[in-house]
Amino acid sequence: MTYFLQNVVNALQWGSFYALIALGYSMVYSILMLFNFAHGDIFMVGSYIGFGVAAALVALSAAGVVVLPSWLIFTLTILVTMILTAMLGMAVERVGYRPLRDAPRASAAITGLMIGIILETGNLAILGARRVRFPDLIESVTYEIGGVYVTNKKIMIVVVSLLFMVAMQYFVSKTKWGMAMRAMAYDYLVVPLMGVSINSIARLTFAIGSALAAVAGILYGIAYPVLDPYMGVLFGWKAFVAAILGGRGSIMGATLAGFLLGFIEIFVAMVFPSTLRDLIAYSIILLILVFRPHGFFGEPYSAKLRL
Amino acid sequence: MMRNMLNRFAEVPLAAWLIGALCAVYLEQWVGDPLTELLLLPKIPVLFGCLIVLKTPKLIPSTVVFLILIYAVPICVIAYAVRKPANMIAAKLFSGPIWISAILHLGLLYLILHIWSDISAYRELTLKFTLIAIIVTLSLNLINGYMGEFSCSHPGFMALGAYGASVFSLVLFADDKNFGEALLPGILGPFMFPLGLIFGGFISAIGALVVAIPSFRTRGDYLAIISLAFTFIVKSLIENLEFIGGPRGLGSQPDFSNLLVVFIWTVLCVWIINNYVQSVYGKATNAVRDDEIAADAMTVDTRKTKMVTFMFAAFWAGVAGGLFAHVLRFVNPSTFGIQKLAEVLAMVYFGGLNSVYGSIVGAVSLSLLGEALRPLELFKWIIIPLLLILVMIYRPTGLIAFKEFNIRNLIQPKHIPEDEV
Amino acid sequence: MRKGAVLILLAVAVCMVFTPSAWGKNDAIKIGINAPITGDNPKVGEGSKYAAEMWLEDIKAAGGISVGGKKYDVEVIIEDNEYKAESAVRANTKMITEDEVMVIVGPQSSSQAIPAGDVANNYETPMISPWSTNPDTTNDRPFVFRGCFLDPFQGPVIANFVSDQFGFTKAAVLYDVAADYPKGLAEEFKKAWEKKNGKGSVVAYESFTTKDADFSSQLTNIKRSGAEFFFAPQYYSEVALIVQQAKELGWDKPIVGSDAWASADLLKLCGKGCVGLYFSTHYAAKGAKGATKAFIDRYNSKYGYVPDDVGALTWDSLRIVQAAIESLPKLTGKIKKDRKAVRDAMASIREFDGITGKMTFTENGDPIKCAVIVKITEEGEFEFHQSVCP
Repeated sequence: MTYFLQNVVNALQWGSFYALIALGYSMVYSILMLFNFAHGDIFMVGSYIGFGVAAALVALSAAGVVVLPSWLIFTLTILVTMILTAMLGMAVERVGYRPLRDAPRASAAITGLMIGIILETGNLAILGARRVRFPDLIESVTYEIGGVYVTNKKIMIVVVSLLFMVAMQYFVSKTKWGMAMRAMAYDYLVVPLMGVSINSIARLTFAIGSALAAVAGILYGIAYPVLDPYMGVLFGWKAFVAAILGGRGSIMGATLAGFLLGFIEIFVAMVFPSTLRDLIAYSIILLILVFRPHGFFGEPYSAKLRL
Repeated sequence: MMRNMLNRFAEVPLAAWLIGALCAVYLEQWVGDPLTELLLLPKIPVLFGCLIVLKTPKLIPSTVVFLILIYAVPICVIAYAVRKPANMIAAKLFSGPIWISAILHLGLLYLILHIWSDISAYRELTLKFTLIAIIVTLSLNLINGYMGEFSCSHPGFMALGAYGASVFSLVLFADDKNFGEALLPGILGPFMFPLGLIFGGFISAIGALVVAIPSFRTRGDYLAIISLAFTFIVKSLIENLEFIGGPRGLGSQPDFSNLLVVFIWTVLCVWIINNYVQSVYGKATNAVRDDEIAADAMTVDTRKTKMVTFMFAAFWAGVAGGLFAHVLRFVNPSTFGIQKLAEVLAMVYFGGLNSVYGSIVGAVSLSLLGEALRPLELFKWIIIPLLLILVMIYRPTGLIAFKEFNIRNLIQPKHIPEDEV
Repeated sequence: MRKGAVLILLAVAVCMVFTPSAWGKNDAIKIGINAPITGDNPKVGEGSKYAAEMWLEDIKAAGGISVGGKKYDVEVIIEDNEYKAESAVRANTKMITEDEVMVIVGPQSSSQAIPAGDVANNYETPMISPWSTNPDTTNDRPFVFRGCFLDPFQGPVIANFVSDQFGFTKAAVLYDVAADYPKGLAEEFKKAWEKKNGKGSVVAYESFTTKDADFSSQLTNIKRSGAEFFFAPQYYSEVALIVQQAKELGWDKPIVGSDAWASADLLKLCGKGCVGLYFSTHYAAKGAKGATKAFIDRYNSKYGYVPDDVGALTWDSLRIVQAAIESLPKLTGKIKKDRKAVRDAMASIREFDGITGKMTFTENGDPIKCAVIVKITEEGEFEFHQSVCP
């Protein structure tokens, strides 16, 4: 039982990364109907920016220039990184996606992929190949509850990601901007007729998606503190799986699919020999799609796609 | 003046250009070495001088002179000089069955490539990989361009084909530590190799069924993730199959993929896929892409069309994988991962959707660019993506999209423009 | 038009007659480096590149390599293999046929070194892979050498060390199933351990996939299996994560590693968690003397960090190449002949005194080399514990 519970805890942590990244991915995917293949690399850049900001704040604090408690450093890091990464996201949208608004969707996917490669290589060229360690913003404390080991980091990560998911859900379903976004997802041709600028919605969507990637990047840095330029690639593709698995136009769906992906990966390794993990995990996803071909919350749509 | 020149060249048929190129490559073989010495170049510029120029910029003038003397001038002069007899021959051939003329042109093309790549083994290797890239790109274009889906399973198909064909030739024709002694005499190998490739192709076509059955029940992006999951599954599967080497890979395939074999398969692929897309099935595929409901109403069996096209594309990806394995003479599962996917996708969308020309252009240009920019090391991977982004922005469907490939137009004799007559 | 063509041809002919054949001929000795500058593991490429740069610096300072009393200039050509097999093959072919290198150093990882070694052997160009531990790299390839010991040697070394040091009987292994090196070493270790302690003594044999960051499920399995320690033959960046996560799951038993741990960055990435752990490697950086210390210090002052074992092994490989070239009576200027001569000279090197230990090549081109077990100290240095020789 403790064995099972321990793995639930493991899966919650791992799943919340997938969920957060898939959430950011799904913003762009649901609202603009784009495959954002740069997302994984925006996540990577977010993590590096977070590293830079955190390291700077820690150094300032240590040098005695300003006195900051660690929770404030953490909060400031998240805020500053979110803003900076959101700006990167908007830049990516401006360069890679806006010129291709009327092009086939897949063309925009390719520009995203290429921007991702530029971000990776650029990072490698600027910072070199040495991996960096994310600073310890939170002192790790391990609790043992009936044989199950939980750290304060794990709790914090799950809580923060849940908070962001709830906030996103609220934003999209209750605010005016959120309404505009949903309208855009529903029919993007009509939106400008209602006096909403497509460009500003697209920019906002990218900004929010990238800010979420930045949060994921920082939390990732805290939980798995080794950063390297190619760390976002696989995450990006898996977020892509989760976003589509969740169903188009469903932010909750993407979140759930992210958690599901994490749970599948952890529990497959628990039950089966772990060498077969990818084989079985992705076969399960394949099977899910056989029975729920529209994802969890997606609606079957026969509307004409833009290619 | 310029226009006049161009007009003059408008009457040069393909055959004449090929003859010109043939002379140029011969010329390179004969006088290439003394000329490089004369121009103070270290070696014959192997990929049109890109490698030399990027490494030592002060050799730019020499390289340009070399290219002009060896390629530009002879090709233009000879093509122009033989335009009349070439036109005559082309006209004669053109009146006969088209395949004779096509085969003669292809023979000429092969001769050019053969002599060109004879200069250095590096050129030959680059050429082989480029030709294989054409097959892969074309087959992915079938799905992503002609059918309008977004498939990510090509690395998986290539892996299946590569391993299928490798196992075939290792079991039958090579003494190898995984499968023991050869079952058949090695002399038969090159002749049976096509069977091996077809075997690999069939394995990946069967693999395609796994993707196709669940994903074509509905339209949408589900193919994208099912096919991506498929790529992960194939990779993981091969990693767990110890008898084919697992993650360590499978090596020492016999050297069956020489340039001629790769060339013939590429030509076959272009020819068959071109015929396919112009056939009823191909048109049905286009119809399904443009409007599935309308296509259905027009009695197109949309599901069957999609399945057949998908499996057909997978077959060719498998063949390409088989050739790839025998050129590299080593395969391992990590070759067929996300990186390969990005590479193939880039080639398809760079070249142009829904177009055989486009796929050829995309595959050739990106393969050559990847080699030619080698001296830039890290910055190669900034320049190539930037170039692709620019192409996508200015030509969102790729360089040459939605253009039909017509062999007749290519090889027909060119008539002298009216005003000259 | 015709006149022009004739003139050009004439000029070409005249020049050809009067051109001294030495013109444009560059008789520098060229050494090729085939390393992953981009791709999944750029740090390996960086280490190889830096070692090569330092080596070249030395050569330049000495005015070149002297062969038979004549100084030859040296040129190092670095090609990126993108951590891909096909790219490594292309890079090797390019260096052999285009740049006409005399020797190739690299590729580092077995998945690239195996196919690239095939190319080098076919073109009869000596190649030495500093870091590839898979036996297939050099097997049946007279022109291919390596600079490190093999999996079948290192696996038992670790198994014996753990038995002798701790007296454990139950082992667990955590490795990357998709990569060549961890997989090979994990298998060799398992074989050696089961030979020693009987079948079933490896109680957990867990794996993950390259680029994974979460090992909690596998570690939970290991913990549950009742293993007394686990062996993680992983690259140091993954080790940092593995060790940290093991601690967080309440694992307080030893973790043992292999030569891929050996990087000064290990402690930086891993923090306190790695202190007190043992691993096998090529040399102990702490208390290093003589040439080893000189190399480490120079690398450190030049690039700002203590070199990984890849850097040290690349350095040694380059030095072996240099020694082989210097031992030749003369260079003929015919690249094919010279390559063969270099190959023979490399094969006949005895007791080469490298910074990672003394080396003599076997018939297969594998070095007979000692492994050392080191302990990670409080200060984050790798302290010599014991040395195991074949």
